[in-house]
This record gives sequence, C-alpha cells and structure tokens, in this order.
Amino acid sequence: MKQQKSISEKLFAKLQAGDVSALSYAIRAIENSEFESAEIYNRIKADIGRTAVIGFTGPPGVGKSTLINAYIDCIRSADQRVAVVAIDPSSPISGGAILGDRLRMAAHIDDPGVFIRSVSNRGHLGGLCAAISGIINLIDVAGWDVILLETVGAGQSDTDLTDIADIKVVIQAPGLGDDIQAIKAGILEIADVFVVNKADMPLADRAMRQLQAMIDLRDDKNNRVPIVKTVATEGVGVDLLKAEIDLRSQKWKVVDRQARVKKRMHRLFAREVGRLMERKLASMNQSEFSQVYEKLILGDLKLNLLVERMVEELQEILGD
Amino acid sequence: MHESEVQMESPPRVLITKIGLDGHDRGSRIVAAYLRDAGMEVIYTPPWQTIDAVVGISRQEDIDIIGLSSLATDHLIIPELMTTLTNEGLDAVRVVVGGIIPQNEIQKLLDSGVSKVFGPGTLREEIIDNVKSLALSAQKLKRQKWEEA
Amino acid sequence: MEEKRKRNQPSDIQSAHEEWQQSYQKQMGKQQVIRNRSGLEVDPLYSPADSNNIFFNERLGFPGQYPFTRGIYPTMHRGRTWSQRQLIGLGTPDDYNERVMKLLDSGTSAISLLPCNSTFRGLDCDEIQEVLLGTCGTIINTIDHMETCLAGVPIEEISTAMNDPLPFTLLAFLLGVARRRGIPWERITGTSNQSDYISHFVANHMFFRLSLTGSRRMLLDHIAFCREKVPNWNPVSVVGQHMQQAGATPAETMGFTLSTAIQYAEDCLVRGMDIDSVLTRFTFFFDISISFFEEVAQFRAGRRIWARIARERLGALDPRSWRFKFHGQTSGVDLTRQQPLNNIARVTTQAIVGILSGLQSMHTDAYDEAISCPTEEAARIAVNTQNILREEAHLCDVIDPLGGSYYIESLTDQMEVEINSVIEKIDAAGGMFKAVESGLVQAMIGESALSFQRQIESGDQKLVGVNCYQLDEDQEVEPAPYRPNPDAVKALAESFKEYKAARSKSTVQRAIDNLARAANSENDNLFEQVVTAAEKGVTHGEIVACLRRELGEGKPIIKA
Repeated sequence: MKQQKSISEKLFAKLQAGDVSALSYAIRAIENSEFESAEIYNRIKADIGRTAVIGFTGPPGVGKSTLINAYIDCIRSADQRVAVVAIDPSSPISGGAILGDRLRMAAHIDDPGVFIRSVSNRGHLGGLCAAISGIINLIDVAGWDVILLETVGAGQSDTDLTDIADIKVVIQAPGLGDDIQAIKAGILEIADVFVVNKADMPLADRAMRQLQAMIDLRDDKNNRVPIVKTVATEGVGVDLLKAEIDLRSQKWKVVDRQARVKKRMHRLFAREVGRLMERKLASMNQSEFSQVYEKLILGDLKLNLLVERMVEELQEILGD
Repeated sequence: MHESEVQMESPPRVLITKIGLDGHDRGSRIVAAYLRDAGMEVIYTPPWQTIDAVVGISRQEDIDIIGLSSLATDHLIIPELMTTLTNEGLDAVRVVVGGIIPQNEIQKLLDSGVSKVFGPGTLREEIIDNVKSLALSAQKLKRQKWEEA
Repeated sequence: MEEKRKRNQPSDIQSAHEEWQQSYQKQMGKQQVIRNRSGLEVDPLYSPADSNNIFFNERLGFPGQYPFTRGIYPTMHRGRTWSQRQLIGLGTPDDYNERVMKLLDSGTSAISLLPCNSTFRGLDCDEIQEVLLGTCGTIINTIDHMETCLAGVPIEEISTAMNDPLPFTLLAFLLGVARRRGIPWERITGTSNQSDYISHFVANHMFFRLSLTGSRRMLLDHIAFCREKVPNWNPVSVVGQHMQQAGATPAETMGFTLSTAIQYAEDCLVRGMDIDSVLTRFTFFFDISISFFEEVAQFRAGRRIWARIARERLGALDPRSWRFKFHGQTSGVDLTRQQPLNNIARVTTQAIVGILSGLQSMHTDAYDEAISCPTEEAARIAVNTQNILREEAHLCDVIDPLGGSYYIESLTDQMEVEINSVIEKIDAAGGMFKAVESGLVQAMIGESALSFQRQIESGDQKLVGVNCYQLDEDQEVEPAPYRPNPDAVKALAESFKEYKAARSKSTVQRAIDNLARAANSENDNLFEQVVTAAEKGVTHGEIVACLRRELGEGKPIIKA
C-alpha cells in the first residue's frame, strides 16, 4: 500500500495562513490520499466548521457554472471570500478528464477573493468526488468564508450533496426536453431552494408551474421550498437567490460549527472505511477465502447479503 | 505499492491554453482530448488568456504542465509568461509549447525556460510521453518545496 | 472482325458492368473500403450504371442556368477568368502601402487588406505587447492609418477586399478616406470579407466578437447601410473557411455555410428588406482542400443547393440572387511545416480544384505560410502558380470540364444528399444562430477534427513529410519568418499616442456617446454611427470598447 505521510509543518503553516499555492497543493494530496487521515484530521479539527457550504446541482445544460459565476459576484459584493469546487466526470475508460467548468467563471481569475478548483470525480458516483470532505476541510482551514460546490450534474444521482452541503440549491431550466421529469426522483427531495434558470426563455413559466405543483404535492405547507427565477447570464434574480439562501442558513442554524463538522465527518468516515476495506481485502491472500468465493460463485451465498452482514457488524461497532 | 498505482493515483494535471491574440484552437482541443484519453486531468480554457490568468489558474489548479498552443506569433510573449511564473513562485510548473514556431525562434523559448517545443506533425505518443515525464518532475519539485524543510 | 468484337464485348451495360466487377474482385481479393473526407464510401469505378443523367436539366442545367450546377455564368472562365486576389497585410501602414503599390504596378485590379491580429481582437496598438504588433497583418487603428495604407491607390477604380470583422471599422475608415478625397461612395467596390460573425463563433479564430445578439444587430445594420449608401459593396461574405479550418468535413462545411446564409437572409427578411436586394450582394468564401474530386463535387452541389434555397425557400425572384458566387483560398490546413517546398505542389493541386470547380476569385497560399507570414519570394511563387495554371495549363478552355464524369456527377449527387442532411439538422435545431448558441455546431466540428487527426495518427490519412516520406528535421532549411522592423513599430505606437492626444476630447466623446446611444436604440443604424465616429477620429479600439460595453462581449461557446 502506498505510504501515507504526515503533513509538513511548512505546508500546514502556509495552509493556515491562507496561502493559495499551499491549499492548492494540499487538495491534490488529499485527493490522492497521501496524508495519514487521522493525523491530518487532528491537525485541522480546531480550525474547521467555519465555512458555509452551498451545493448547486441540476441536470446538464441548466447553467450551473454560469449561475455560480453570477453568485460569486453577489458574494463578493457582500465582501465575503469564496471558494468554488467544480466537479466534472472522469472518462470511464482512461480515468482522465477534461475539467471545463471554470471556463464560465473566467471573469474572477484576477480576484484574490475567489478560489476556483476543478476536480475530477475519478469515477465516484453521487455527483461529487470521494475526497470531498477532506477538500472542504482544507478550504475551511485556509479561511474561506463560503464554498460553492458544483456537482457533476448527472441529474438524479447527484445526491451526495445531502451529506455535505449546508444548503442545497437544485437548478432547473425550461426547454430541456422532458422538463421536470429530469429532476423528478431523488434530487427533488434534497432541495432547500429551487432555481429556474434561463427564466427569459419561452416555457419558463410552464417549468415554474410544474415545479410548484410538485412541491405542493410533497411539502408540508409550513416549510415551503422557494423557487427563484434567474437569468444567470445577465445576473438577474441572483440577489434573490442569495437572500433565500441566507434566510435558510440562519433559520436552520446551519452556521452551527459542530453540525457542519459532523456532517463532513460522516462522509470522511465512509470514505476511509471504503478505502481501507478495499485495500485490506485486496492485499489479503485470496486462497484464505476460497470457500466463501466458491459459495458466492455457486450462488449458495448471496453477495449483497454478505456485504450487508458486514455493514451490520460495522453499525454495531459504531453504536457502541 | 507499484509504480503504476502511484501514477494512477496522481494523474498529471495539465492546463491547455492559448495566450496572446490568435484563437485557432483546433490543435489545442485535439491535444486536450489526447491527454484526457491518456488518463490525465486537463483544464482546458478558451484562447486569448492573459499571462496573469494563466498564472492564476496554474496556482489554483495545482497544474503540473502548461501546454500552450501558438500558431501565429503569440509565442513571442511566452518568455514573459516564464518570468511571471518564476516571480510568482510557480517555477515547478513545466511549460510545453505546440504549434508553429519558426526554427530560429525555438531556442529563445527554450532559453526562457520552456521544457519542450512540439512542431506540427508531432505524434500523439511523443506528446503524451513527454508530458507524463515532465509532470512527474514537476510533482517531485512541488513535493520538495512543500514537504522538505 | 465485327463478329469477333461482339464476342469479346458483353451485349449491354449491365452485364458488362458485372463482368468487370467479377474480374476486378478476382484480382483485388478482399479489399478495404475507401471513404472520402466526408465519410462517403467511394467505389473503384463509376459507369453509366451510376449516372443519373435523365434529369439533366433539373439537376445540372447549362452554365448560367438554374440550378447552376455547371457554373453560375454562361461564359465562366472562357469569358473572364477568376480574379486573382492575394491577401496582403503586414507591418505598419507604410509597409502595407509599399507592398500594395508594387502589386498595382504589376497590374492587379483587386486588392485586399489583412489587419494585424490586434485589430482583429478589437485592440489598438497601445493595448498589447509591442512584440506582437504587425507580425501577421497591418496595424490599422485610425482613419489616418488607412489613408497612409491607401496613399496613391485609386480606390474608386479597384475592388478592395477587407478582412474586416464587425463592427466594420476598416470599411468605415475606407469610406472616410473616400470622403476626404471627394470620391462618392457609390464608386467604392469590394467585399467585407469577415462579416460572417456566426463563423467566428463556430470556430475560434482571432476575431474579437460582440455578443451573439449584438453581432446579429450589427451585421443587419451594416447590410442595411450598404444597400442604401454603398450599393456596390458586398456587405456579406459567408465564410465556410472557418468551419473547414476548425475541422468540419467538406459536407459539413458546405452545410453549415449554407445554413448560415439562410440565417442571414431570413434575418434580413424579418427586417423587411427586399430579398433580392440582399441576396444579389451575398458572396461565399471557402477554403479549397486537397481532396480533389470531393471538393469539386462539394462546390457543384453547393451551387445547386443554394440556387434552390434562394429561389424556393427564400423566394428570390432575381436570377442573380440564385448564383452562388464564391472566393476560394487554398487551404492552409493542408500545408505542412515539414519540407515546406512540398507545399507548392499542394497549393497547385488545390488551385486546380478551385479552377475546375468554377470559382470567381482565388487566393493561393505561399508555401511558407505554415511557418510565418509569406516572404516576398514565396508570395510571388503563389501568384505565379495561378498564372501558370491560367496561361499554360489549358484549364480554362472548357467550362465545367469534369461535368458528365460518371464519378463527379454521382459524387455531386451524394454530396448534395449529405449537405442537405446537415442543413436539416441545423433547421431542426432552430437554425444556425440557435445551433451555434447551443454549441451544437462546435461539438460536431470538434468530433470531425478529432477523427481526422486520428486518421493521420493511424496512417490511414497519409501526409507526406509528416507520417510518411519524412526527412531528418535538421536537414531542413527554413526561411526566417517575417518580423516587422521594431523601430518602425515603436515609432507608429508613439505617433498613435500623439494622434490621440491631439484630438478634440469633446468631439471624440460626443461621437462615442452617439455610438452608445445608437446601440441602445433600435431606430438608429449602428454602422452609420461607426462611420461617423471613424471620421471624427475615434480609434478602432475605442469603437470596439464602446460596443462591447453596450452590446456585450461574445464569449467562446465551447462544449468541453
């Protein structure tokens, strides 16, 4: 197994001092699991939980990057420093990726109050990347006020945000074919705020009505999920979006640092368990388990049941 | 564990971009696709980037290799980019240039710190191999910078 | 004797064809499918079995007759050969003037003007690194620069092609110079060669762009202004070249170009312009690639399709509107940096293609264009390539000499189907404007470019000196590239500063304000204000900056 290492004093000090190169370097090290996870967590835990995390998701073509770009302007005029983590899918064949989201945020490159990082999902499903908790913690340590997460945008499967983001913004746009169907299942449930972007297009009102109807169906009437209309290319409606987000942040006390850290810990834990289990098993002597494998092959033992049993054991350990 | 695993876990991060005035991007788009298909993480920008933007992106994205395409005369300002990279503490980043660079101006680029100039007709494998090994050396330099006293 | 011949010869075409096919297959064995660049499968032989001559008049017609497959004029190159129009532009306005006067002395009747890339990017010479100035075209920022460029040039007698993207400041400067000389604008002839903003979004070139919607407005105002005030100017040149250079196949190139022309024409109709007054001034601009027969078929099919579109879809009544007038430039994409003299052979081949395709004007590339702006010697060889083909090769003796070839006619038909399917795709996407706005066209071109590059890598597409017949690089002798005299560039930059300082601030500001106001009012003609501003001494960069503020900048539209 690859040797993990401690974070150097120099890197840590620079990271804490907000040095962008240090942050940038450390993010990749976290993506590559180069640091010893318990050690790095102990080093940073006193410094995390301050940064608000806002997630943006929605099917491809709704203008997520463009909306984030406009949202950055909004945050900057409130004089907060903002980091963007934009996730793009990797090629299933080569593992490589073309990370293109920052194209649409190019206007902010000269602003020292904006940090934009493109991240490959490296095959991870769920809309984010495996190392997302660690990345967010690092940005947090480096002292950024707000993190905007942009999911892959595969639509329904972008449910990772629930674990990670304080506020989840689900974006829709008219004219994407089967309009609302695209976000019907799963992703609808996670929204704290809905956005209908490209609201100047024909059919925008129809998209609004469809969305409203779906919200009316699912919601308890006291906790209505708001719908904000935006034209991200023109910056229209973005201040309203920010107002809705700010309102919810306060109402739900998501500014609670402990709650935030716990949220991220859940993901961090899941990643570490998964990573270690996989490596552990892979490095074990295969012949030790040959009987189990035979049963699995013959179907005497069900793979999913076996794994579920293991997870149950884990839950017991955690419960104690 | 294995060399291959180490490589897999730290794919080269490459910035493919164009500075200056020309916008012909057919070549840079093809190279971006090649590098992606070779397992690299490629940040691709539209043409007409400023030198400051290239430096800023390289810093924020932890870029190992900047690949610049120049088909007109924009390579004439690459030495200015090299100086800025050094002044900004990004001297670990390796720079390669592809496109049409007159024979008598190649040396000027190499002297300014450019690692490699690829002329038209360079084969895919040559580009990929060079970028890979340059990325490894960039990563090594960064590791030295951040992890050693 | 007669008996013997009959025995050796099958009785009808069908059985003769079958017999040939059998013996062909016997000797060739199993063979690879050959496809042209548009992806169409090409048979080893074409015969009367493939020909579709029964609809001769409907599909081909005679030259000058609808649908113009065989040429847009009855006389074609017998009556008048193509205009020889070499792109020139380099260094300072003085450098340009020197070069253009030499050309005029050698009898040229048509000139062109290629500005510096900084001009294309909407910048004045004080806005970028000096080292980039004048390396790829002439630095022109003001009406005075234009006056220097054209000193001694009889602009009322020659036709001028301006590589002048919107907002068309070069034409504005030219009109300003005409007025200074007392020449009525009706006598100014030529073409706005880079007016096709859609192509600038399709392929990233070097052009600065206003937002798509702003660009649309600007072009329409330009067309409207020219119709009224500069009636002998061609305000629109629809450019297939950019699509082709970015990697579109020949069929895609023609399809996208015609879809673009449809878009512009329909936009003019929406403005209430008379279709014939617009279409008679439409011209097209293509790169001619080396894929010989495919290119000829592409242009023949393009003529036929455009004639039908103009007449049936756009409702033009004037036969001149149906004519597909095109300028061809030998494609720089086919040129190689390796063994550059080989490019003379490539350019010659491309030029033959252009001539056999019946083009109206032509630029032949210099062999060193894959390395730098052409040196004088290379430029001369390029011009003489045209001269040799025109004077020595007997290419112009017969109109449409490839017409009637079983292969050419069959391929023309196939290309027509292929091109029409591209046009249908664009129509389905809501027209060219929408298809470019959504990135569809760019994505299609990107795929074609990548697949062609893969063919080169795999060796399926051979390139002499690149993936076969290579020489050791060191043995090559490469000409030193053109670089302008740095002192002259510095002096120009200095005098530009003085020029700006010497102007009346209030006059300049008023002109810019008027321009801004026009940009925000549907009733004003924006180009008219550009011309006024240019005449008042407002610089190219100032005009562009104002319009960028008011109409928005056109960002590249790419699907990553």
